Amino acid sequence: MLRFSAVFSAIFIFTQTISAQAQTVSITQDLPQVSFSINGQNFTVARIQDTENQLTGDFTKTSRACPPFCIQPMTVAPGVDTVGELEVLDFLQTRVSSGTGLLIDSRVPDFYNNGAIPGAVNVPFNALESDNPYRDDIMRALGATDSGDGLDFSNVYDLMLYCNGPWCGQSKRAIDGLLDAGYPADRLFYYRGGMQNWLLLGLTTVTPANGG
Amino acid sequence: MIRIVLAFFATAVVVCAAIVFAPAGNNDDPAQTDVTRTQSQTVTSPTLAPAIAGQNTSDGVAVSAASRILAATGGAVQPEPAIKTDDSSISDTTAGVLAALGLATGAPAPTPTSTTGDDKMMDMTAGALAGIRAITGQPAPQQAESNSLQSLVAKALQEGQNDAYIDALLNEAAQAGDVSVPAMLVTSDGRVDTSTLLASIVQQATTMTTGQAPAAPTTPLGAADGVEVRVVQRAGETEQYKFYTVAAGDSLGSIAVKFYGSVEFFPRIFEANRQILSSPDRIQAGQRLVIP
Repeated sequence: MLRFSAVFSAIFIFTQTISAQAQTVSITQDLPQVSFSINGQNFTVARIQDTENQLTGDFTKTSRACPPFCIQPMTVAPGVDTVGELEVLDFLQTRVSSGTGLLIDSRVPDFYNNGAIPGAVNVPFNALESDNPYRDDIMRALGATDSGDGLDFSNVYDLMLYCNGPWCGQSKRAIDGLLDAGYPADRLFYYRGGMQNWLLLGLTTVTPANGG
Repeated sequence: MIRIVLAFFATAVVVCAAIVFAPAGNNDDPAQTDVTRTQSQTVTSPTLAPAIAGQNTSDGVAVSAASRILAATGGAVQPEPAIKTDDSSISDTTAGVLAALGLATGAPAPTPTSTTGDDKMMDMTAGALAGIRAITGQPAPQQAESNSLQSLVAKALQEGQNDAYIDALLNEAAQAGDVSVPAMLVTSDGRVDTSTLLASIVQQATTMTTGQAPAAPTTPLGAADGVEVRVVQRAGETEQYKFYTVAAGDSLGSIAVKFYGSVEFFPRIFEANRQILSSPDRIQAGQRLVIP
C-alpha cells in the first residue's frame, strides 16, 4: 500500500514537472492560454513566461498628476458592470468571437497603436462625447438603427471598455458619452484595470499600427 | 414668323431685366468703388449678349439667363443638376484610383466622410468607424458609393480602355445616378469632365514617380482662349483682373488646370465667384468668371 502511494506521488510529481516546464506562468491553474478568432483573424493571449520579468517604461509610474489622472471608482455608472482580466478574456472568446460584442479601447489612437489588448477596436473617448456631430454614425456602426426621430438600440453590440488603467478616466468619459447617446447601460462593461493591470500580469498585447 | 417675333420679344425682356437687376445685385458690396461698379456693369452685359447671340432657340437661353439674374439678385430658383455630385476632393479620387491600380501615393486612404482635412472630429469618427467595420466585417455603405467612381475608372484603365470609352462609361453611370462625381468635375453642359479627371490622375502619378510638382502653364492665355484682362483703379492702387468666359465643356477643374496647372486650385476660383456660382457644379457656358 505504501509502495503504491509512493509510486503514485512520484508519477504525480513527475507530471507536474512536465507541465510546469511547458507552461510556468498560466492564466489560471487550468488555463495556460486563451485563443480566439475574430472575423477570420486568430489571436492567442498568454502570459510572459520569464518569472523574473519586470515592467519598464511608462507603466511603472506611481504618481501621475491628478487631475487629470485620477483614481477611478469601482463602478463608473449605474447598471454598467465592472470586470477583471478573466471576464475580458471570456468576453473575447465568447461574445466578440461570435460577433455579439466588441472590446473597445477608448484611448486616443497613438496610445492604442503603441500597444493594445488583442482583438480590441479603437473608439477614442472623445469621438463618443456629445460634442462630436458625427456620433450617431458610430452608434449606427455599433448596431443602432434609425427609428422615427431617434435611434433604436435594441440590437447593439455588447461593449467592454478599457483605457490606460485605474488612474485613467477615458473609459468613464466614453461610457458617459455612450449612455448620453442612448446606449443601454446593461450592454456596457468596464474593465477598470486597463492596460496597466494587463501589462502588470504579463498578458499578451498587440501593436495594431505595426499590423500585429 | 410670329414665333420668331415672340422669341425676340422674350430675349429683349430678359436683357432689359438683366440691365435693371444686375447692378442692384452688385450694389450690395460696399467695398467696390465707382470705378469697379462701372466695370461690373460692363461685365454683365457681354456675359449675356454672346449667350443669346450664340443660341437662337430662345427657351434654353431664357432659362439660363433668368437663373443667372435670379442668382445675381439673391433669388433661389436654380435648375437641379442632372448629375449627383459630392464635395469629395479630387486628390482623394485620384489617390483612390492610383491605389486601386496598385500605386501607393503615400497620401492617406480616402475616407468616406472626410471633406476638409482639418476637421478632427470627422477624422476621428472615420477612424473609429473604419476600426469597427474592420473587426465586425460590416460593409461601409458610404465608402462603397463614393469609391465607385474611382473603381469604375481604375477598372477601365486596367482594361486598357481609351479616353472616349471611359468618358462614355462615367457619363452613363453619372446620369443613371450610380456614381457621384466631385462637383468641380461637372462641366457647363452638365457632363462629367473625364479628360480633366484622367489628366489629374496622370499628373499625380507623374508627381509620385518624379517627385516634381506640376508647374503652372507658362504660355500666356489670350483673348482667343476666352480670357480678358482688365485694369481696375481703386484708391490709388491699380489692380489687374483676369476674366474668363466659360465655354461649353469647361468644368471648374479644367479652368483651374488652364490657369494654375492643377485642379487643386479650383476652390480659389470658386471662392472668387461665389456671387454667381452657388456651387462648383453650377458652372454654365457664357458665364464670366473672375480669375484671382
